[in-house]
Amino acid sequence: MGDGNNTSGRGIAANNTPSSNSEKPEWLQQYNLLGKIGEGTYGLVFLARIKSATNRGKCIAIKKFKQSKDGDGVSPTAIREIMLLREISHENVVKLVNVHINHADMSLYLAFDYAEYDLYEIIKHHRDKVNHAMNQYTVKSLLWQLLNGLNYLHSNWIIHRDLKPSNILVMGEGEEQGVVKIADFGLARIYQAPLKPLSENGVVVTIWYRAPELLLGAKHYTSAVDMWAVGCIFAELLTLKPLFQGAEAKSTPNPFQLDQLDKIFKILGHPTLEKWPTLASLPHWQSDVQHIQSHKYENAGLHSVVHLSPKSPAFDLLSRMLEYDPRKRITAAQALEHEYFRIEPLPGRNALVPSQPGEKIVNYPTRPVDQNTDFEGTTSIQQPPQPVSSGNVAGGMGAHVGRNGSVNRPMPPPSMQRMPQGIMAYNFPSQAGVGGGINPGGMPMQRNLAAQAHQQQQLRRKDPGMGMTGYPPQQKSRRM
Amino acid sequence: MADFHTSTHRANWIFSPQELVEKYKAANQRAVQTLEKYGTTQMEVDADGSLSYPEPIARDNADKHSRPKPLNIEEEQFMRVFYENKLREVCSAFYFPNKIQATALIYFKRFYLQWSVMEHHPKHIMLTCVYAACKIEENHVSAEELGKGISQDHQMILNYEMIVYQSLEFDLIVYAPYRSVEGFVNDMEEFCGVKDDENQMLKDLQETARLEVDKIMLTDAPHLFPPGQLALAALRNANEMHRVLDFEGYLRRILARQNSEHTILQLIESLDAIDAWVRKFKFPTEKDMKHINRKLKSCWGHSSHDDSKKREKKRHKSHKSLNEARGQQLHGRTESKGYRNNPFSVTIVAELVHVGDISTFCMVTRPFWRRAKSYGVADHRAPIPYDGT
Repeated sequence: MGDGNNTSGRGIAANNTPSSNSEKPEWLQQYNLLGKIGEGTYGLVFLARIKSATNRGKCIAIKKFKQSKDGDGVSPTAIREIMLLREISHENVVKLVNVHINHADMSLYLAFDYAEYDLYEIIKHHRDKVNHAMNQYTVKSLLWQLLNGLNYLHSNWIIHRDLKPSNILVMGEGEEQGVVKIADFGLARIYQAPLKPLSENGVVVTIWYRAPELLLGAKHYTSAVDMWAVGCIFAELLTLKPLFQGAEAKSTPNPFQLDQLDKIFKILGHPTLEKWPTLASLPHWQSDVQHIQSHKYENAGLHSVVHLSPKSPAFDLLSRMLEYDPRKRITAAQALEHEYFRIEPLPGRNALVPSQPGEKIVNYPTRPVDQNTDFEGTTSIQQPPQPVSSGNVAGGMGAHVGRNGSVNRPMPPPSMQRMPQGIMAYNFPSQAGVGGGINPGGMPMQRNLAAQAHQQQQLRRKDPGMGMTGYPPQQKSRRM
Repeated sequence: MADFHTSTHRANWIFSPQELVEKYKAANQRAVQTLEKYGTTQMEVDADGSLSYPEPIARDNADKHSRPKPLNIEEEQFMRVFYENKLREVCSAFYFPNKIQATALIYFKRFYLQWSVMEHHPKHIMLTCVYAACKIEENHVSAEELGKGISQDHQMILNYEMIVYQSLEFDLIVYAPYRSVEGFVNDMEEFCGVKDDENQMLKDLQETARLEVDKIMLTDAPHLFPPGQLALAALRNANEMHRVLDFEGYLRRILARQNSEHTILQLIESLDAIDAWVRKFKFPTEKDMKHINRKLKSCWGHSSHDDSKKREKKRHKSHKSLNEARGQQLHGRTESKGYRNNPFSVTIVAELVHVGDISTFCMVTRPFWRRAKSYGVADHRAPIPYDGT
């Protein structure tokens, strides 16, 4: 271990010795790195293709986390995202397939199935290029799958807290084409019993999708904040425009965003204590009475903004998602049962390809790939950027390349194309909890034996429906 | 994560007694072999957190008598228990919420399913587990602060952090029985049809059960039984003392409600087995520890003639640590500050009562609360005390 004896990347000791003929660490050699596809506060996202025969050509998104700034060990965001993703598994949630560790700088690389599209790009494409609304089947299918994934998360006591179109991925060509995947769990929290009020974790959710209770400074919030965001996204799918496009007041450290609230009030009308009894106890409702309560918007104009008949099921569902009082707001489970999903067109698994003959299929643009950034995040100017071909990309994960399509960033010295060394593979699927990734001595660890021998476990296994109780069965009538 | 049934805890970290024995044996064997090969068992952690074995020591004319003797499995067990106790002392010195202690303890126990104490000094691992638990439970404390509070070099914590996560296979969400105890006690209130005086009795029951859980957590039982059963074993013992309710009747009720195929006899058998673990638990005496530490010292090559500077430095460090271990004194206890008046401790209690109990019964079969009541999973009206009211 650690002595250059490469037992296929297992054993906890990282192989810190670069192999003589290549500077790439061992784990990276299993991929063809195609380039950078995204960037965020947490770090960078790369697109890579698997070389190995079993999954040849399969695309993987690799999310590199920066080290935590203060020199205080492993990035808490990365650890939190990994720990949540380890516990969850659902068709409409991104799948974490691998974790690689670079011991040299303590950075983590999370490998996900790659998703070619996301709602941000899909909406943008319709708005800027197609010039007509998304077809109803696609809107409904995307929404249903988003709710389906969210219902799973909420059933497992996880609040996502940062739902927005760019975090809702859609799979490209392949077996899972058109399947929605909820991504980016860096801000997600388990809410069974936080040690601190959730609001202590810093203000979350991009303001356009932020629920009114958060804007008004609620200390404890619930899965209802995700449902508000879904409502905003639903409206955006219908109109191709963000529903509440407030200007963010960046300077204030508190979550109070007057302009955002104003945008909401303008469309939904002013919240009243009748409709939302606990409103009065929210910090900013009290402290900013003049600001917030000065102008009255009474005529709710939501239906005209989204061009829906106030009597349509779609409008009914939307307005239940945008209910002011989080206690009255519709839950994901309830939303899935809403009439909207029971009327034609029924939602389907492939949201992008309507089964109705004659419906036009929109070809969405593939994700731009910046080929000039290496795994260290440094940029080289040796190659001009090229769009990646839309080949056989399956899998899901995403974050975003510079929103304006600007993939070129300030350029550090061009010579820095070296790869980080000594990165360990930590392969989840093949091991499924078997200690292979860190098997210290390489002895066989028969984790699956554990599943057999223990009496209690056998008993539990007999229990049908265990673990997924309360999860609504998918209806046969749906094409899901 | 409230669903124990789909958790990595249940899937990956509950073993049969045989498996557990195998794991301990394997770790011990590996360390023994390393000792034979390299003359030392302790792995070196580089500043970047990677691990390596030291250079093999050429022992010409190997004097059989001076050869370091490895710890046996029982001695390893003693060493772990000793530091599990230390881990609790550290957590209480910092006035961390109980949840942190519980999580850190489970991390520590799991870590040493993968490694021998001869390979990684339990003091380092213990502190790193506390640090990691703080990070995971969102009670972030800087490594520096943690190190300072107990006069330890915090760099060591940072060096070990990634190794700990890896050894835990990134399964970082764990279920301790404390929450399950609270959940069951809340449920018992209903079962007993609470009157005020009974309410006090239930509180006493809960308090005693908590102490019983403390005992259980130092045994191997947490590797063998789900937290719900550990909690029930603790409550049953507590009930022996307080005589609050007909415990078997209560167990029957739980099983009936869960529609379990599990018989009452099977459940009682598990609880008896947990009791047996507690009964046969042994804490090492001072003499035991002295002996073990002497052996460990030689395993780590600190008594061998070695002129490499690195070894020299290590020797120095480890002497210090061993003395501390022997003295059983927690340094800097009074230095730790800032947690005494932790404003959150109040909130925590409130939230536990509101939310926590329901979610972590972690019982043996399907979570009955889902059917029994509509504490609603996706029903966000119930779970969190909203806007501070």
